[in-house]
Amino acid sequence: MTFLIQQTLLYAVPLMIVALAGVFAERSGIINLALEGIMIFGAFCGVYFVNVVQQAGWFAQAKENGNWVALQGFEVLALLVAALCGAIFSLLLAFAAINLKANQTISGTALNLMAPALVLFLIRILANQSTLYMSEGDAASWFMIKKSTLGFDRTADIGILGEIFINKVYLATYLCILLFIILSVLLYKTRFGLRLRSCGENPQAADSLGINVYRMRYAGTIISGALAGLGGFVYALTTANCSANGDVAGFGFLALAVMIFGNWKPGNIAGAALLFGLFKCIAASYASIDINGDGIYMLAQIGLSSNFYRMLPYLITMIVLAFTSKKSRAPKAEGIPYDKGQR
Amino acid sequence: MKEKSGGLFAKEGTKTVISSVISIIIGMVVGSIIILLVGLSNQSLGISSVGEGILLVFGGLFSTGRNAAGALTFGFNSTNFGNMLFRATPLILTGLSVAIAYKTGLFNIGAPGQYLMGTMTTLLVALSIPTGSSTLYENGGCPAWLVWVLAFLAGMLAGALWGAIPGLVKAYLNINEVLACIMCNWIAANLVTWVFENSVLRNTIESGKTGYIYKTSYNGVATAKLGLDKLFSGSQVNGGILVAIILAILVYILMDKTTMGYQLKACGSNRHSARYAGISDKRNIVLSMAISGALAGAGASLYYLAGNTEFFWSTYQSLPDAGFTGISVALLASCNPIGCVFTGCFMSMLDICGLQLTNLTAYNEYITDVIISVIVYLSAFSLLIRMLLTSKKKDDGHEDNANADTESDAGKNASSGGGTSSGVAGANSVKTASAAGKGGEAL
Amino acid sequence: MLLKGEGASRGLPFSKEKGKIIVNDKIILLFAIDTKGGKAMQPDNVIEMLHITKRFPGIIANDDITLQLRRGEVHALLGENGAGKSTLMSVLFGLYQPEEGTIRKNGQEVKINNPNDATALGIGMVHQHFKLIEVFTVLDNIILGAETTKLGFLQKKEARAKVEALSEKYGLKVDLDAKVEDITVGMQQRVEILKMLYRDNEILIFDEPTAVLTPQEIEDLLETMRAFAAEGKSILFISHKLNEIMSVADRVTVLRKGKYVGTVDTKDTDKQSLSNMMVGRPVQLEVVKDEAKPQQPVLQVRNLRVPSATHKRDAVNDVSFDVRAGEIVCIAGIDGNGQSELVYGLTGLEKCSGGTVTLCGEDISHASIRERGQNMSHIPEDRHKHGLILDFTLEQNMVLQRFQEPKFQHNGFIDNAAVRSYSDQLIGQYDVRSGQGSITVARSMSGGNQQKAIIARELDRDKPLIMAVQPTRGLDVGAIEYIHSQLIAERDKGNAILLVSLELDEVMSLSDRILVLYEGEIVGELDPKKTDVQELGLYMAGAKRQDRKGASGV
Repeated sequence: MTFLIQQTLLYAVPLMIVALAGVFAERSGIINLALEGIMIFGAFCGVYFVNVVQQAGWFAQAKENGNWVALQGFEVLALLVAALCGAIFSLLLAFAAINLKANQTISGTALNLMAPALVLFLIRILANQSTLYMSEGDAASWFMIKKSTLGFDRTADIGILGEIFINKVYLATYLCILLFIILSVLLYKTRFGLRLRSCGENPQAADSLGINVYRMRYAGTIISGALAGLGGFVYALTTANCSANGDVAGFGFLALAVMIFGNWKPGNIAGAALLFGLFKCIAASYASIDINGDGIYMLAQIGLSSNFYRMLPYLITMIVLAFTSKKSRAPKAEGIPYDKGQR
Repeated sequence: MKEKSGGLFAKEGTKTVISSVISIIIGMVVGSIIILLVGLSNQSLGISSVGEGILLVFGGLFSTGRNAAGALTFGFNSTNFGNMLFRATPLILTGLSVAIAYKTGLFNIGAPGQYLMGTMTTLLVALSIPTGSSTLYENGGCPAWLVWVLAFLAGMLAGALWGAIPGLVKAYLNINEVLACIMCNWIAANLVTWVFENSVLRNTIESGKTGYIYKTSYNGVATAKLGLDKLFSGSQVNGGILVAIILAILVYILMDKTTMGYQLKACGSNRHSARYAGISDKRNIVLSMAISGALAGAGASLYYLAGNTEFFWSTYQSLPDAGFTGISVALLASCNPIGCVFTGCFMSMLDICGLQLTNLTAYNEYITDVIISVIVYLSAFSLLIRMLLTSKKKDDGHEDNANADTESDAGKNASSGGGTSSGVAGANSVKTASAAGKGGEAL
Repeated sequence: MLLKGEGASRGLPFSKEKGKIIVNDKIILLFAIDTKGGKAMQPDNVIEMLHITKRFPGIIANDDITLQLRRGEVHALLGENGAGKSTLMSVLFGLYQPEEGTIRKNGQEVKINNPNDATALGIGMVHQHFKLIEVFTVLDNIILGAETTKLGFLQKKEARAKVEALSEKYGLKVDLDAKVEDITVGMQQRVEILKMLYRDNEILIFDEPTAVLTPQEIEDLLETMRAFAAEGKSILFISHKLNEIMSVADRVTVLRKGKYVGTVDTKDTDKQSLSNMMVGRPVQLEVVKDEAKPQQPVLQVRNLRVPSATHKRDAVNDVSFDVRAGEIVCIAGIDGNGQSELVYGLTGLEKCSGGTVTLCGEDISHASIRERGQNMSHIPEDRHKHGLILDFTLEQNMVLQRFQEPKFQHNGFIDNAAVRSYSDQLIGQYDVRSGQGSITVARSMSGGNQQKAIIARELDRDKPLIMAVQPTRGLDVGAIEYIHSQLIAERDKGNAILLVSLELDEVMSLSDRILVLYEGEIVGELDPKKTDVQELGLYMAGAKRQDRKGASGV
């Protein structure tokens, strides 16, 4: 059970934050199909940063002394780098979609092609292999928060909630949840949020009220890029042992589905992300899931092929979309380039 | 037709070609810059390798390796040319697949999935029906050519069915086809793995090849070479490229000359007007996606029926590049079916260049993927490039103001009513003005 | 937008006698107007737009236009569609920058680069197409762009108090917490007005504000405008409706084809001379047509129900009527009362949820769009959404329904030569003008010619029933005259015509019988010769209704 909840959370949190990335872009009127590509790019940048800093030996001392505060700081720095790189990468989309009024689906697809190509090219040059790992150690030994990190004894009883939420967890997970809440408030309770949303619904109206639509759309896309880059690194850190290989297995697209399923609203998205996280978790580790703790791996014993479980998240997405897409309501002006000259 | 006086630039086709060429050049320049940057920042590579890298990006097709002195040599390389045509075959078809969908208003990002389903079905048919010349079966009698045809048709059919799924959910459930296509891709990737996981068609004859399915030639099935192998000796080329070209021509005829193409395009350009005119938009969406899927499936069939290609069956983690490259092929060709033949060849040429780059330098083939993605990025606003070309050559107010409201509509009414051909009229008036100016000076 | 001389005054709700004309003593003092602008500067001119020229690629939308607005006056800006009114106002509001000319406020030259500048100068505008965010609440719409915030967080309480006070003061009733998509058009307009007042604007621009309102609502709006003027606010009122202008405006500036024609006091002019100024030639004011000779019923509609796309109840509710050969039946009503859905139900674009439709004796209640098209042609409401495929050439558009006829295809291959010659013939016959004839891309044509192309296509199909939905929307007087005469010619040929129109003048002059649609039901059947706009308005607003039991129009 503990394992199931933790694993679900590991998948759900990046999905949630990347789906929110989609919300910020689409609410400002830009379809960000490039979430997948930005995630890949963000993951690479974060991992590369970790790799380089490790080689420079900046945190070697801290690691030696078990100074976990410094190591968590290191993790936060890597998160920031990934977010920054994601934001920069998303500028390519913003420039094409906003200034050049390009087809947003195609520009997004271009970024999805560009990110893995660029990342693989660089990884091959840098590491002479197809995956970039940490320079030394693994994610768990460097960044994972464990009982021992918090001063508990390895065998101490910290209760079921403690086991779930503070043992073998990553700070990044909680930072993402916090960020998710802050940004949701930003979207609904502030002037910036109100204006951003108006640009995705009726940019002509926003413009007539003196709101700079181009600037708001840039803001939306950049925030989106930063979140997707961040989400990409969180995904790499927590599920791929802090490595990058130019692939996030369609996670960016799943996030888009989560966004649509959540009807572009943060609250619903959080719920949808948990649901998808659960399926993704089942797909990844169905063989070792022990639901009621009796030592029997039920899902594995049903005897269905592992391929079936791997297919499940995508199948569920299709089914869920089939049921929700008639009711779902996208921002009205999304995907339509705004041209000041036209009223 | 009065625009002829506008010269070469006024022709829409010419503008399209020019904008594509511009995209290609910028894409390759970006690739060169990346090589330069990497070369400069990485001391082990050095400046000379930068030059070699860039040379191979542009001229990899003509590369003939290195001479005794270690310098790159260039010349006509029949292997490279033949392989370019061979590798272009699936790309042309996935390109056509994306193009036909795009012309009907749909973005078929599902070509990889359709390609995979085509691959699977083709291989199942081609390897399961015993032929006379089979090494897998002892007593088979079915003629190899018939199996080839059946396998090819089965591949197309599977692609069509897989393509129809996003079409159906788009038409009847209003699900965005891009998302549906992506989900179908991954479902296909897992499905194919599932089917082949315990299949008897895994290559157990050659050691270390269990990750692969038998080549179709094991069952005596292979695409006819039609003498192309003699023309391009040492390459894998076969008659498949001709099939691809014929399909491109058929698609062109379908889209431009028939009532079916008219309906498909009508639905693509304006779903509402098509419905208004009594054209079934839903039927056409499904039809368009099915045709698209069939073409992608055909691409897979031709590639794997070659007889000398192997399929790595454990696909659940990655989707075939051929499907995604189809997007680039189609966009670079502005979705013109005939154009896809040329852009398909161009993309496979880049592929060859990438291989040369990997083989001969410290760089790797992914740089060509970067170039391709830059080209796709640029083709997203190729319309803008085309418009820039247009506005340089003539003052074209009509098109720019297309969506203007009624206020300016009627204003244009006044202006377009008078001069039927604004380009010509404009040019004339400029002449008169300058003549008057000269007159003024003389006085 | 049809102009009528004698007929127009017949029972129209506005007249000089009825409307209170504000006697503003300042205005009487200042008689001489310097139409050339420039040197002579009137101290009480709040806004002066001097020699404004605005060009778009291919056209000059405003050509040397001068307009002077005085403090406390209602100043009308009159012109046909395409005369340049909206462009001029967009220049004043900062949406466009003029190539030439200057704008002055209180004698000081100002630059208005964007709507923010305009707002800072106290200029506000109610746009013809409302600039509202449908999914936002009324309050959010009002404060958007002028929010009160603390540390970036919205402070809605103060805003709410201010809006409530304004709403009280001017009698502009709105529900602040309702979403805009759920409120009526009339209330949406009040939201737009409150947006201006919330920003303390002194110069109020109303761009064609009455097009979407009932006659009664129009009267309320004009009353509000008078109240604003009496308070010292200055109002620019853009319209092509002469009655309203004569009723509310102090002065009128007339534009024609982007050029300035003149400025006159409403006291010193009348509708006929204003319409001559606007059109530039004496206008055929009355539609000339003979008495209708209705014959057998062509279209019989019984208890029709059509579901709504936006809400749960049926948009068309139990509607029954007939249209006979040789008559023009008009569906009148305020926009959004089920007209579009009725047309969709009849043409098959939307599935009906009940009732029967019989066309030429055949039950077509469940027939496909194409089957219905055998006996029906349809001039659609929205020429861009339905009428044309804008990226197709003109000739491809001309055979939109007919490409499968043997005449235009052989074995599935389109006969391009036949299509070309047919298209050329229609272009000549209906005088459709375009850059390159048959191969012009429809998108590049002017709105008027696009509409003409649709009319040509639909009328040439020569079907017993013609559905014409707002066939003259957004067109100039010449095109309107032409389309009306074509429709009458079709009627006289013995075809049945179902006209859907929002323009009261068109309803009154063109139809032989009027059916008023209110909230999806037919609430009255009127004879245009025996009724007036006032009565029609009451039906349209739902204030009056006939008992039509058994009266199915036969």
